[in-house]
Amino acid sequence: MLKHNLVLFLRSIKRHKSSFLINLIGLSTGLVCVLLVYLWVSDELKKDKFHANDEQLYQVRRNIPNGQGSLATFTSNSSLMLTALQQEVPEVEMATAVYEFDGNARLETSEKKLSAFGMMASDDFFKVFSYPLVSGDKNTALADVNSVVISAELANSFFGQGSDPMGKTIAIKEGEENIDDVFTIVGIFEIPKNSSERFDFVLPYKTFLKLRNPDYINWYSNSSSIYTLLKPNVDIKAFNSKMADFISKKNQNVDEQVFFTRYSDNYLKGTYENGKQMGGRITYVILFSIVAIFVLAIACINFMNLSTARATRRLKEVGVKKAVGANRTSLILQFLSESLLLTFFSLICAYFVVLLLLPWFNNVTGKDIVFAIEGSMVISILLITLLTGLISGSYPALYLTKFSAVKVLKGKISTSVGELMVRKGLVIFQFSISLLLIVAVSVIYMQLDYIQSKNLGYTKDNVIMVERQDGLINNMEVFLEEARQLPGIVNASYMQGGMTNFSNSSWGHSWPGQTEETKKLTFRHAHVGPDFIETMGIEMKEGLSYINVKPDNESKIILNETAVKLMGLENPIGTVIDMRGPNREIIGVVKDFNIQSLYNEVAPMALLCRTEWVSNLVLKIRAGEERKAIAGLTKLYAEFNPGLDFDFRFLDQQYQELYQSEQQVSALSKYFAGMAILISCLGLFGLTAFSAERRRKEIGIRKVLGQGIGQVALMLSAEFVKLVVIAMAISLPIAYLLASDWLSQFAYKITLHAGYFVGAGVIALLVAIGTVGSQALRAANRNPIHALKEE
Amino acid sequence: MLVELNNIFKWVQQGGQRIFLLKDINLKVEEGEFISIMGPSGSGKSTLLNVMGMLDTFDEGEYDFLDEPVHKLKEKHRANLYKQYIGFVFQAYHLIDELTVYENLEMPLLYKKISGSERKSLVADMLDRFNIVGKKDLFPTQLSGGQQQLVGVARALIGKPKLILADEPTGNLNSKQGEDIMKLFQKLNNEGVTIIQVTHSEKNAEYGKRIINLLDGRMV
Repeated sequence: MLKHNLVLFLRSIKRHKSSFLINLIGLSTGLVCVLLVYLWVSDELKKDKFHANDEQLYQVRRNIPNGQGSLATFTSNSSLMLTALQQEVPEVEMATAVYEFDGNARLETSEKKLSAFGMMASDDFFKVFSYPLVSGDKNTALADVNSVVISAELANSFFGQGSDPMGKTIAIKEGEENIDDVFTIVGIFEIPKNSSERFDFVLPYKTFLKLRNPDYINWYSNSSSIYTLLKPNVDIKAFNSKMADFISKKNQNVDEQVFFTRYSDNYLKGTYENGKQMGGRITYVILFSIVAIFVLAIACINFMNLSTARATRRLKEVGVKKAVGANRTSLILQFLSESLLLTFFSLICAYFVVLLLLPWFNNVTGKDIVFAIEGSMVISILLITLLTGLISGSYPALYLTKFSAVKVLKGKISTSVGELMVRKGLVIFQFSISLLLIVAVSVIYMQLDYIQSKNLGYTKDNVIMVERQDGLINNMEVFLEEARQLPGIVNASYMQGGMTNFSNSSWGHSWPGQTEETKKLTFRHAHVGPDFIETMGIEMKEGLSYINVKPDNESKIILNETAVKLMGLENPIGTVIDMRGPNREIIGVVKDFNIQSLYNEVAPMALLCRTEWVSNLVLKIRAGEERKAIAGLTKLYAEFNPGLDFDFRFLDQQYQELYQSEQQVSALSKYFAGMAILISCLGLFGLTAFSAERRRKEIGIRKVLGQGIGQVALMLSAEFVKLVVIAMAISLPIAYLLASDWLSQFAYKITLHAGYFVGAGVIALLVAIGTVGSQALRAANRNPIHALKEE
Repeated sequence: MLVELNNIFKWVQQGGQRIFLLKDINLKVEEGEFISIMGPSGSGKSTLLNVMGMLDTFDEGEYDFLDEPVHKLKEKHRANLYKQYIGFVFQAYHLIDELTVYENLEMPLLYKKISGSERKSLVADMLDRFNIVGKKDLFPTQLSGGQQQLVGVARALIGKPKLILADEPTGNLNSKQGEDIMKLFQKLNNEGVTIIQVTHSEKNAEYGKRIINLLDGRMV
């Protein structure tokens, strides 16, 4: 029997190639979507889960009122937190403090110079985290102030594959914290692929404590991340409420709430809004899972619709089999096994397509996924396929086998109204989803376009950023002076951090006329060079820029418009601010400019003219002379940093990276929408063909009675175009709600207007008309005699 | 007694009225009979045939098949009964287009739990008996109507039924092909197979040993 059914299946494929192809392409495409998303999601979910103590591993966060009525969440903590936790909190089994450098450091052996990214971590780092040590002892690796632990990768680039770098020395120079010393390699670690963090070397936290100005080791200065292993049975909720006022008890002047979050959750749920976890990458994980399931559902619907629509063809077989003694169960099994067979065919196709697409997919999503066949994945994929086959096969199987043999063989089956409704409902569902995706694509695209072109308050084009390393640490000013003379260079300056984020913030400043509420106003600030404002093209609102008041910049301050407004200063120029330390006089106010992604409103900002902690040089290049300018800079750089490659980044590229996940979402949704539409159209194509077939006689009669080809084609198309219009009515309002919800997270956004929705509708309609119309015309063109003679 | 119908009624409701398809049918069929059922269109010939073949139900009356009360049997039991004892021949042949002659013949055996080797020999016998060995790998569409009906009859016979029910078996054939099929029926009947056929043709009806006339669902 199995052989018989298989033969039947294969031969009917051969005879009805087009519906087989429609189903195969549809289901394969659906499965490709699901497989890709499955790979992506499982990769996302695995991030940072490799740590042996994952369940106990927590990060310390702080919520602070920002002086504007809401809370800001920070991961940075005072270095005092480490010992406080270790000594005073019994629930903490182990803790480690980590200080990350802003930029790369320069590492040097007698043979080689490299720049690498590193951090300083306290003793238990390799015990709290499970980055495997290839060599060295995780208990003592960070104990000695003169030792360093490096990554296997860095070890290879310095000493070559296979050599043993243990005990060798490396000179490390870092401008930010003024590190300039020789360290002995005491350990080599590896970073597993599914770690969200990348770093090349780890210095002992003791180095940090040794170099830090003791003035900055207090409960106000938050520079380090703190990670803890909590004891296994700690109830995190109770623990968090117990710990909330931990810092406030130490320092009466601050109003901060401490809380602990699971470290491995941070990757997907790392965004906080007003002190609460909101959104983050998890949104996209959920979103794409849903989209993939929908695309697969659309493909399943095609299968159901086509197989029931073309039932007439199979009904005879069912009738004959029933007449010769087949029972319903065996027929249901036959149909189910056919759909399963088809889905497994599709799976095989999908597998190869995924293999083919994976490099591209990795590129789009910025991942490094390998499609490795492993147990749990094979099982889930097989389950997905099985489910797809069963779902898409069940309706046709139950439908086709329910008729009695007599009725079938006498051709007395008429399609019931209910059935037609189901079929139409499914088509409406397909197009609703497709329309939603089209709107999503266009809204995301327009918003990203808006972000790219929005006036940020500074010019991001033709600016390059160079890390302050090596020779630049001590001779930065000289380098800049010489750089300004180079052809193609318009201006040059320096700054702390980057233009996409001022990582420093402070509060507790006072000024004349301050209200109680604004005492806690949090400022973002950066140390910048004297001609920073000019180099970046930031506009002055009033007062002077630093370039005009050299050399007495250390006691001055420049604020942005927002800061002045929130501080309530009527005449800011000349006002003196107490910055918990030196008093500073406001000499100028700049117009607001965006330093974060446009999710956020412009924060109150301060620009301080200092060289301390400066990590980047910024150079403005004349448009069109990039090549010349960079050639000159490369030469100059080599003079200051012999042996080190000139490494620079364009600011506009850095800016793009702020929206990396949006770009990925934009690209992915484009392809998913394309696939959804493709599958929906395939289905529509099949259904029109079927409808034309079913109404052959009607068409014949109409034509004999004198109706023109155009009218007949119109009548056939209208049947389906109507469905698309209904789908529009259903999905466009939903699309509007979803789009405004997505946009609401941006502080700066496009306004939604009818165009996006009408446009999506028109696209869907055109595609549908194109698909249906060709079939309808073909049907209308047939000679009516053939259709009528058959009766 | 092979078939015994007592007071069989069958009706459909249409607009609050009962329309009778079969009205008080009483019929006894002995093994070895060859019966032709005649009557104008819509007189209930095919309905009667389908009721006897257990493909259709009836609303009132008693039907004994080989002394088993069909009207009291469960669906499954009934299916077993007709699977074992009844073969159908259709006007439109109803061969499965995607299967070869060989496979079409084999199909009924698949639903009877007959072993592969036995199936092979049964199909081979049948091909032999009907002289269609050379056509066994052809598809139905490659055969003439007469040949297709030949395969249809062979398929009905392969399960060794006691009763063949034929619904206008010659309806789609030309007179020469029709005559061949009738002669085949006669031969089968002589070999002991009971045959009940529905026909429009007086000439073909004459092949039967007994003729039953129906009018408006009633035997006349």
